[in-house]
Amino acid sequence: MRCLWFLPVAIVFLPAVPVFAHSTVIEHRQTNAIEIRAMYDNGEPMTEAQVTVYAPDNPSDPWLKGITTEDGRFAFVPNPDMEGEWDVKVRKAGHGDFISVPVEGSQQAAQSGKNWQGGGYTTLQKILMAALGVWGFIGTALFFARNRFHQT
Amino acid sequence: MVKKELFVTGLFVGIPLLIAGCDTATNNEATNTTDSETGSGTISLVANGEAFAREEFATKNDWTINLDHVYVTLDQVKAYQSDPAFDPDQDQEITAEQEVTLLNEAKTVDLAKGNKPIKVSETQAPAGEYNALAWQIVSPEQGKTDSAMVLEGTAQKDGESIDFVLNLDQPLSYQCGEYVGDVRKGILEADGETELETTFHLDHIFGDGEAEPDDDINQNAVGFEPMAELAMNNRLEADLNTLEQELSSQEYERLMGAIKGLGHVGEGHCLETEI
Repeated sequence: MRCLWFLPVAIVFLPAVPVFAHSTVIEHRQTNAIEIRAMYDNGEPMTEAQVTVYAPDNPSDPWLKGITTEDGRFAFVPNPDMEGEWDVKVRKAGHGDFISVPVEGSQQAAQSGKNWQGGGYTTLQKILMAALGVWGFIGTALFFARNRFHQT
Repeated sequence: MVKKELFVTGLFVGIPLLIAGCDTATNNEATNTTDSETGSGTISLVANGEAFAREEFATKNDWTINLDHVYVTLDQVKAYQSDPAFDPDQDQEITAEQEVTLLNEAKTVDLAKGNKPIKVSETQAPAGEYNALAWQIVSPEQGKTDSAMVLEGTAQKDGESIDFVLNLDQPLSYQCGEYVGDVRKGILEADGETELETTFHLDHIFGDGEAEPDDDINQNAVGFEPMAELAMNNRLEADLNTLEQELSSQEYERLMGAIKGLGHVGEGHCLETEI
C-alpha cells in the first residue's frame, strides 16, 4: 500500500513514452528571423562567405555557422528567449566584419515562435487527449476512494 | 484516511504534471551575460605581419619576396569595450565604457621574426568584451631604425636578385573595431586571458601573385616592379622622399594608400589618420 502513491504519477508519464512510427509530419510556424546581407565596399555581394553567429549568453563560442547565398544573404532565427546583442561575423578571402543585431522585447515573438502548426494532431484531437488524461486521474482517484464510498 | 491522502495526492501532483507536460521545454536557455563581467584578467597584445612577413611570397608582378625584417614601431595602444560597437567605415571616434592602455611608449617589433605573431605587451584589465582597438605607428627615437616601418629583404625574378631596404616613415593612427579572424578575440573573463592583435597586411603594398590580376588586392597594390627599376647594382635603399621623387605620381599615390591601409585587426578594417 505504501507504494500506491506512485500509481497516479506513473499514469502521468505513460503518455510521454515515445511511440516509434514511420509516418511523416510536416509542421510550420511563423518566426522573427534575422537576415543579413554582406557586401564589399564597392557594393559587390560577398558570395559564399563564412558566417558565424554568436548568441548573447556565449560570445566566445559560435551558436551557428553557415554560408551566404549568391547575393550575400544569410538568415537565421535567434532563440527569442535570449535577449541582447546577437553578433554575426562574415568572412571571405581576407575580408571580414562583425555586425551586432539587438534582440529585445521578444516575449510575444517567443510565444508565437514556439508554436509549431500543421502537425499530426487537430485541435479536436488535442482536446480529446487532454480530457482523457484528466479523466485518468479522476478515475484513479475514484478507484482508491471507492471503499470509503461503500462504507458510507 | 490513507486513501483520502492518495486521492488528494493524485489530483494535486498529477494534474500539474500533466499541464506541465503539455508545454514544450524551451525556457531552459536563459540569458546570462553578466556573470563574467566582474573581476579582471590578462590581455596579451600581439603584432602580426601574417605569412607575407614570415614566408616567401609572390608579388603581383611575379617577383618573389623574402623579408628578413619588418620593423614596426607601435605606440599608444588602447583596448576598448565600445558601445555602440565601433564601425571604422562610419564612425570617427570610439565610444567606450571601458578603456585600457596596453602600450604607452614606443616599442619596435620585427614582424618577420619567428613563425607566429609577436607578443608586444601583457596587461591586467577588467573583464568584459574588448571590441575595439586603437594604436599608432610612430617614428622611433632610438633603436635599430628611425622609420615607423622598415621592410628589409630580397626580391628575385628571372635570375635577377635585389636586396632592398624600404624606410616607410609615415606615422599613422588607427582606430579599429573588433578583431575578425578564425577565432573570436577580446572576450576577457575574470581570471582569464584573451589576446588582441594589430595586423599588418603587407600584400596591400606588393599585391598577391596568387590572386587574379584584376582582384582588388592587385589593382590597388603598387607591387615591386616600380621599385626594382630604382635599384642600382642589385641593391635598393630608399625612403619615402626618394620614392616620391623617383616613382610616378600615380605609383607613389598608390604606395601611400597601401601604407595607410596596412593596419587591420585580423581581417577587420580600421580608420586611419596621419599623425
